[in-house]
Amino acid sequence: MSTTTAPERTKAPLIPPSTHRYAEVIHRLEAGGSMLPDTPENLKQIIGIYKAYAVPMDFYWRDLLYIAERVFLNPLPAFKYFISNEYLDRPNSYAGDQSPLRIWRGTEKAHPELLAFMEWGETRRMPKLLHHLWHDRVNMEFAEACMQAMFWHQGMGGRFNDYLESDAYKANADRAIKAYFKGNPLMLGLYKLFPDMFLEQVRQLSTYANLGLFWEVMAPVFFEMSDIYDEGGFKGVPDAMDFLVNGIFAVAGRPIYHHVFIGGECFEIIPKSEGFTWLYEAALPYVEAVFYRTSPFRGTKSYNAQAGQVPGNQADFHYGILYADVYPVGSAGIPPTLLMQDMLHFLPPYLKEIYKQHRRGEEDELIQLGITFQRSMYNVTSAVIQALRCALLYPLDDTDPKHLQANRAFFEAQMDRFLRPEARLPDIQTQDYR
Amino acid sequence: MTLLLLLFLPVVVACGLPLLPAESPWVRRTALLASLGQLALGLVAWRNPPEDLSLSWLPQLGLRLDLGLDGLSLPLVLLGALITAMAVLATPKAQSRPRLFYALMLGTNVGLMGSFLARNALLFVLAYELILIPTTLLVAIWGGERRAGAAIRFLTYNAVSGLTLLAAVLAFGWLNPGGVDFSFGDLAHHNLTLQQQHWLLALVLVAFGIKLPVVPLHGWQPLTYSQAPTPVAMLLGGVVSKLGAYGLLRFGIQFLPDAWSDWSSWIAAIGAVNAIYGALNAIAQLEMRRLVAYSSLGHMGFLLLALAAATPLSLQGVMAQILAHGLIIALLFCLVGLVDTKTGTTEIPELSGLLNAQRGLPFTMGLMLLALMAAAGVPGQAGFVAELLVFQGSWVAYPIPTLVCLLSSGFTAVYAVRLFNRVGFGRLDNAKANWASTNWGERVPALVLTALVLVGGIWPTFLTGLSEDATAPLALRSSDAVTVIAMAPPTTTSELSA
Repeated sequence: MSTTTAPERTKAPLIPPSTHRYAEVIHRLEAGGSMLPDTPENLKQIIGIYKAYAVPMDFYWRDLLYIAERVFLNPLPAFKYFISNEYLDRPNSYAGDQSPLRIWRGTEKAHPELLAFMEWGETRRMPKLLHHLWHDRVNMEFAEACMQAMFWHQGMGGRFNDYLESDAYKANADRAIKAYFKGNPLMLGLYKLFPDMFLEQVRQLSTYANLGLFWEVMAPVFFEMSDIYDEGGFKGVPDAMDFLVNGIFAVAGRPIYHHVFIGGECFEIIPKSEGFTWLYEAALPYVEAVFYRTSPFRGTKSYNAQAGQVPGNQADFHYGILYADVYPVGSAGIPPTLLMQDMLHFLPPYLKEIYKQHRRGEEDELIQLGITFQRSMYNVTSAVIQALRCALLYPLDDTDPKHLQANRAFFEAQMDRFLRPEARLPDIQTQDYR
Repeated sequence: MTLLLLLFLPVVVACGLPLLPAESPWVRRTALLASLGQLALGLVAWRNPPEDLSLSWLPQLGLRLDLGLDGLSLPLVLLGALITAMAVLATPKAQSRPRLFYALMLGTNVGLMGSFLARNALLFVLAYELILIPTTLLVAIWGGERRAGAAIRFLTYNAVSGLTLLAAVLAFGWLNPGGVDFSFGDLAHHNLTLQQQHWLLALVLVAFGIKLPVVPLHGWQPLTYSQAPTPVAMLLGGVVSKLGAYGLLRFGIQFLPDAWSDWSSWIAAIGAVNAIYGALNAIAQLEMRRLVAYSSLGHMGFLLLALAAATPLSLQGVMAQILAHGLIIALLFCLVGLVDTKTGTTEIPELSGLLNAQRGLPFTMGLMLLALMAAAGVPGQAGFVAELLVFQGSWVAYPIPTLVCLLSSGFTAVYAVRLFNRVGFGRLDNAKANWASTNWGERVPALVLTALVLVGGIWPTFLTGLSEDATAPLALRSSDAVTVIAMAPPTTTSELSA
């Protein structure tokens, strides 16, 4: 026997629909979704690539801190990518039993896949130096390019960059420089002659530390997302985004600092007491510098700055992964080349299976994973946008139309950044973009 | 026997192909085996030169099956067999109506071989005309969107070429006191007056000027080359057009040396115009096949210049250029065909970033870079050797046309760089770049041709060794000074064979 029920009345929207070119995406964000459409394949792709990204990232953050804290001002840092065992075994601060603030379920040690790759590489087991010279290794150059983007752009909010110019910072750096070159009259003489040169190097090393501490958080986040997905935990793209939003809030207040260890003594160039926090001094500048801005990639495409092909204002730069052409001929974005090569080593089997089924299969896996990475970074950016909205504006289920209008204006302002023809936001709306 | 096999092997195979099942892979394989067999026979003939063959055929018409090989024809026989084999290899495996297609390809080959092997002018004309039928059909049936127009234009122009040549050959007999039996030996010993030679040379120039082609008789070439299917374009550009140069060498310089000497300055001037016209038009083209077609037209100007100069060095340059350009143009058409097959277009504005290692056509574009460099005369490749011989050999006779041709050689680099820059570099459009990469089967013909282009560049004897002894007696001037030696007794066939 069947019964007839009256159709459920849909709730009338409190504000009229957006007329923005990306109205569909804006409505999705207002409904708690991501810029990336919620499809099973998108979920599979982004989680798979988070896992592939997390493994080299586990090396990046360790080596960035090693360079910032130990290599420091070595004038010939030829072995800066040859991370010491101490740093390779350095416990993650947010995962593992020894962590001072365990938030994520992973272990504190370097990931086993990373250790295996460092030992065997793509080729065979051989001394570290040979792996390095054969370029059979993790591309730290990618991490350094991200650091340089953060260091160069500056002025992206927060107090970190202002502090680098402060007298307190200069005094701390001065102590460290003098301690590092103690007994080296040549370098001390150079420091006397060109103090700004060394100071600028220390500022850059502080940015190394900043990015290292940022990725120390992100690596276990991505590992855990992969584990949850493998356990059948995520039901859709919004779930994955919400996990990131929650993660951002969980560590938002963690300290960003720069300590240097010289002769067994710790020099606090940026002490924790300055109160620099993970969200405002690392995460947001990182997203702005690396996802949006970076700089014209030094690939095969030339840019003529005098012809206006490069914006005059740094804030208008649009060469990040959200705009990048993933073909490794350059043209935009840091990630297309070196990171793609790094992630290629750690793809989960289900992602490889997807790639086999499309375009040139295994032959152009590198490109397909680059586009997956682009999708996943749109999801991360969505998480950041939602986190900012959450921190600065109103809940999505707010009933005050003025508040919803404020949220709308915020989302529309964010989407305005993707009105440039280079933006890949329209591309990622379809599954055909591979 | 070798000569008969060279000529009749493709005939037999072409007639036998319709007996095979249409879908059988053996259709393609048989055609390939026939062309490779012919190439092997050519190599055998090179190592063991066969005796000339003379069989009575249609005595009422004075037609004899006079076949032979000398230093002028052997390189062309080898080139013809090689390009035919590469053209068969470059044909897609899923070729529609394969039996007819390959039979017509072999039919074209028969016409070419007949022309190169002929030692009798009437037989030469017959074979020359024979090329027209299968080639027209190949263009008309398997050509591009404008294939009907291309086929009609090709047919019209080349029919005029054939008829003009027939008129010239018949006029040889009518005008020569006592007549001739149309054998090459007889034609080389004619007793025509200078004025009669001028008339005949005019006909010969028109006939082979269309085939080469020469401006302003080139109307068929850009359209036909651009509309012909890739293997046919390879044959047309690589061998059929070279028949024009071969004809001018035989009928112009060898049979009518006095008239040739009289008009050579004009011929050199036309060659220079040809070179500049072809190169400038190539620069303006927006479609790859048309660009290659005009490039070929320009290079034919170099041939004409070297023929006009007729010094021992320039004539070596002619033979080297015939071989080098035959290989290079066939390679270029092969590569453009691959680009077309994969991307679905050869329009230059629609293509970019094909050098992309992951989703482009890096192998094809890499070879195309080599081919374009060879066409531009970059050292280390066959084009350089040929152009050096042409320019150095022609300079003593016609310095100004030589300089003009050198200038046009510079323009070659312009359109080569322009083409490669636009098609190879730049951003690959991800939305369009959804094509498979080339497989080894598709790469083989391009690889073989590239290898030979490189061999010709580092071992010049490969280009000139076969013909050196045959071109030297044909020279009308010395290489080191402007000394006309046309009045020397005409060479005989036996001398040529030596």
